[in-house]
Amino acid sequence: MAAFVFAMYIPALPAQESPKEEDFFNIMKVSSPEGTLLEVGGLTLMPNGDLAISTRRGDIFIVENPSSRQPYFRKFASGLHEVLGLAYKGGSLYCAQRGELTKLTDSNMDGKADVFETIYAWPLSGHYHEYSFGPVLAPDGSFFVSGNVAFGDEEWWRGESRVPWRGWMMHIFEDGKMEPYATGFRSPCGLGMIDGELFYADNQGDWMGSGGVVHVKKGSFVGHPAGLRWAGLPGSPVKITAEQLFSFVSPRKIKDSLGRYIKPENIVKEKFVTLFEAKEKFPEIQVPAVWLPHGVLGISNSEILKIPENNFGPFAGLLLVGDQGQSKISRVFMEKVNGEFQGAAWDFRGGFQSGVLRMAWGKDGSLFIGETNRGWGSAGEANEGLQRLVWNNKIPFEMRTVKAMPDGFEIEFTKAVNKKSAEDIASYNVQSYTYKYHPVYGSPVVNTKTHIIKGVKVSDDGMRVRVIVEGLRRYYIHQLNLSGVTDKNNSFSLLHPAVYYTLNNIPEGKKLSMSEVSTKNSLIVAKASSGKKPAETALNNADQPSAKTATTSGKIPTAAEVKPLLLKYTCNACHNEEKKQVGPSFKEIAKRNYSADKILSLIYSPQKSNWPDYPTEMPPMPQVPKEDARKIANWIRSIR
Amino acid sequence: MTKRIQSASCLKTFTTVFSSCILLMTTWAQNTIHLRDFSFFGKSGNTWRISGDVNADLIKNNLLVTKPGSGILVNQPDENNHGEDLLTLLQHSDADVEFDYMMARASNSGVYLQGRYEIQLLDSWGITRPRYGDNGGIYERWDEARGKGKEGYEGYAPRQNVSMAPGLWQHLKISFQAPRFNEAGVKIENARFLRVVLNGIVIHENVELMGPTRGSLGVEVPTGPLRIQGDHGAVAFKNINITNYDKQRPELNGLRYFIYKGKFDAEPDVKKLAPEANGSSLILTSNLDSKITSKFLVRYTGNLTIKETGEYQFNMNLPGGVGLIKIDSKTVVPMGRGKSSGKMTLTVGDHALELLYFKMEDWENPTLALSLAGPGIREFLISDANTGMSDDSDPILVDGSSTSILRSFMDIPQSPRITHAVNVSSVQQLHYTYDLDKGNIVQVWKGGFLDATSMWHDRGDGSSKPIGATKFFGNPTFSLSIISSPGQPWITDSAGTGYLPKGYMLDAANRPVFRYFIYGAKVSDAIKAIDNGHGLQREITVDNAPINMYVLLARASAIEDMGSGTYLVDSKSYFLHLDSAPANALIRDINGTKELIVPIQNKLTYAIIF
Repeated sequence: MAAFVFAMYIPALPAQESPKEEDFFNIMKVSSPEGTLLEVGGLTLMPNGDLAISTRRGDIFIVENPSSRQPYFRKFASGLHEVLGLAYKGGSLYCAQRGELTKLTDSNMDGKADVFETIYAWPLSGHYHEYSFGPVLAPDGSFFVSGNVAFGDEEWWRGESRVPWRGWMMHIFEDGKMEPYATGFRSPCGLGMIDGELFYADNQGDWMGSGGVVHVKKGSFVGHPAGLRWAGLPGSPVKITAEQLFSFVSPRKIKDSLGRYIKPENIVKEKFVTLFEAKEKFPEIQVPAVWLPHGVLGISNSEILKIPENNFGPFAGLLLVGDQGQSKISRVFMEKVNGEFQGAAWDFRGGFQSGVLRMAWGKDGSLFIGETNRGWGSAGEANEGLQRLVWNNKIPFEMRTVKAMPDGFEIEFTKAVNKKSAEDIASYNVQSYTYKYHPVYGSPVVNTKTHIIKGVKVSDDGMRVRVIVEGLRRYYIHQLNLSGVTDKNNSFSLLHPAVYYTLNNIPEGKKLSMSEVSTKNSLIVAKASSGKKPAETALNNADQPSAKTATTSGKIPTAAEVKPLLLKYTCNACHNEEKKQVGPSFKEIAKRNYSADKILSLIYSPQKSNWPDYPTEMPPMPQVPKEDARKIANWIRSIR
Repeated sequence: MTKRIQSASCLKTFTTVFSSCILLMTTWAQNTIHLRDFSFFGKSGNTWRISGDVNADLIKNNLLVTKPGSGILVNQPDENNHGEDLLTLLQHSDADVEFDYMMARASNSGVYLQGRYEIQLLDSWGITRPRYGDNGGIYERWDEARGKGKEGYEGYAPRQNVSMAPGLWQHLKISFQAPRFNEAGVKIENARFLRVVLNGIVIHENVELMGPTRGSLGVEVPTGPLRIQGDHGAVAFKNINITNYDKQRPELNGLRYFIYKGKFDAEPDVKKLAPEANGSSLILTSNLDSKITSKFLVRYTGNLTIKETGEYQFNMNLPGGVGLIKIDSKTVVPMGRGKSSGKMTLTVGDHALELLYFKMEDWENPTLALSLAGPGIREFLISDANTGMSDDSDPILVDGSSTSILRSFMDIPQSPRITHAVNVSSVQQLHYTYDLDKGNIVQVWKGGFLDATSMWHDRGDGSSKPIGATKFFGNPTFSLSIISSPGQPWITDSAGTGYLPKGYMLDAANRPVFRYFIYGAKVSDAIKAIDNGHGLQREITVDNAPINMYVLLARASAIEDMGSGTYLVDSKSYFLHLDSAPANALIRDINGTKELIVPIQNKLTYAIIF
């Protein structure tokens, strides 16, 4: 049906091709001396405009004139332990090494650090996954540092906190004092201090259905139970215990008849719980302010950064969130409803050479991007890199913000819309879904619902649209596709027509009256005039399994037929036909000579043990309808 | 990031496949020289003696001081008695030779395999660029016909200098392959040093010797004595072992293979299966049919010709596979996954061999490695050496030729992983690991600095390893403690001490000076290499030291007080030297372990000499 709906629209669209991301934002090289290995773990701008970089190899570089044709690289320090964060304060640099927060000072002004002061050292067990991130600076000059969990020995899939404060956010003060601040973190690589409030982004994994931007408050529990082990220690502001949580949602620590633990896998038909349901029971649970749907807006979200006034044109004041695995940046708008943050997220710019881990604003308003993918994999093929994102002062046609309304959403655009397209209900479709909260690696999207759009109101200046959506669901991700809305001047489509709004709260207030909105639906008109049954067709949406297609099960589909499916089910977030990315290439999979049935079963229940060389586990994809999965399987088999 | 480790590690390299077999090796025909008398040798001259203990003088050249007893072979030449070489009565061919030895200061000796190929033994203490004539070097060959000044050639320097100080026991292990001759007595293959390991570090590997080294007993021969040089200087030996491999290897012939496709959980009845392919093969190999790479079974049949009766060890390695071996229809290696082995006594003659290899896992390349060891037969690879050889990881080595610092996790024996370790190198090639959790040195080493492959290849596990020869100081403990009575145990954790690490500052030469607080006192801990490369000097400074504060200098099974502030630790493994020997330094016994403790008021300086 989706294809049919789309087909109906094509003739209405202009023949002229809509612009692309690179028509507005250029990715530029930052030249560095040959052999400089920039596996960037931390990036910060110094007050004089120099850029400080920390690397996973333990070096700290200071780059003078970083936006110039030939910046000067000075090695400020070396020999540190896998530095995944960097901040500047009061003439010194501060970095989280694996095991401590360190203050680096050049006391003799020879351009190199000579004092390496331990501000606070935390325990580690020595597990490879015990990375530490930060610091980010609070307005009072104190520091936040986050710590990854380790994994089990036998239960290698289960995040565990072997020593105090793994899986926690630590609040550290200049005098060496540390206050445990919040827990529930799994792989908290993305930190951001936004207008004085602490936010973080995690990766998909066990208990983490998808990444997202989470507001971290003192005493918050953000979902992964490992850190709860230490909730009873003095100073812990988190009161919930693992036992309490597990009485509500099972950790599924189950052994087989031989006494070996069984890895929890997704169960397709089961009664499950969501994180927000858990929150009703345990109010200290902090649900993401903005989910970044897995595979769509990243797979391993990283730095969260606010766009300052005067930077990036219409996007000033919004947030950017990097993604390591997909080598791209998403854009986020947040608003406060009923005292809690929530908001919308879009794709923003992809195509970076390696995994986007860190971002820092240059004095000239361009954005430095620190990248790495060693051992982690990413869409960008390079192992490391430092690049620069530059706006070319052209304004793309985009949604600028989406705000929740009592009866739907208000969308603000960067350019005036073509009213005819915007007043047409057929230009929109809306569906909502969420994720499971369970000990399984990742989660399929669940409870998917398609919403009826009852009406649209376009502002006089064409810069805003209010959409009345029936049956809004609190806490759910509402995906709005504005594939039919075009801009006023040249009828281009939106650069990114999909937005993902996390509706943690539905605001009170005045609803639109039906008298002031357009209820025109060109599709229904078109259908009706052609004598077909309209309503169902128009309202079904892209995510429903298409019941019947021309391709029968055995037939080998063409690449052109499969490509939209790979996109739709986010397969291509991790797999490329030819090249290794986060996962193996389709050609590599084809070499295994699996039967179509075997591929089908692996789509629904991936076997990590089949690909020991790939660090990131594939989540189960039960949302892919059998018919489509079979097409994909047959295609994979055909490209051997 | 979100990433995680797969519990099963995959062994892919040939090196891994084969060297892991070596670990399983049992030795045959091993001769331990008892060193109660000289019955193992021919004439011994008048400088060699059997002793019960030996020490070198660190000041005087060429001087070893002995005590009566047995177990140690000592050569003590002097101006009147220049000494003679010792030759074993045993004549060896291929052999592993292993021993402990101690050099006197500035002394020179050597061991000649078959009396002809010399590994140099020398006091090379402090040398940073070793040559062929240094300790562990393969001594040069000599030919006067090459012209004056050019006589010496084809000497091989050790890869790094991991020599210890005179007066310390060093360990050398040599795997030697004798030259081969045809029936007419013509040499058809050169001798080789397969592997030479000095103080735990490989310094030569597979070095072909075109001919005998300088001072050889004579022309090359199939067998010869082990010869210890005795006319150059004072040296001591103990624990000498010679394993002679003089018997003929078994041979595999008449090999036929049968490939069956499918997945096999147990040994199938092959009579009921139709092979996908079959044929004859000259060698046992997994490299049979490039189209069949996964989920298959290979069955080999063939004839194993045994030329020496005795017990044979079969070591098989099948990464990602399962297999078994039968000899004369009796199972010798039972069905096993990955690495498996078995033993069987075989008599001279032909034996029917059957080998099954099930390739199970998709992600491994087909790899079949089989090695055999037997009576007087060194373990050797009887299967194809060219399968499974690829390894995509390039080692990442950290240069220590200038002062450099690298933090990492560090693993030391019998201790939990050290998680806050700082590794420091020096131009003198003396390096150490400092544990920031304890404010103490946990190991020192010399030679190459660090191998960071395990930290920086792929996602890594955060750890690095010393490249050179290491002295471990046991389970990490704190340097400083308050000891109110001589029997009070040393602190085991920081409880009650207020221990607080403060990191380090770099001095003018870029060396770290570590800082911490303990018992409220501010401590700085400065460690530097002694200029001549003879050891590390450590200076601990405590501001406002509380009363009864002590420094723990060593904890070991044995600590010998050599006088003048010098101590020999851990069965002559390293020296400690206190510059100004405090009269109240104390060697105490805590539950059978010796501890050397010294009170500290403000400052203590000592050297670790090795």
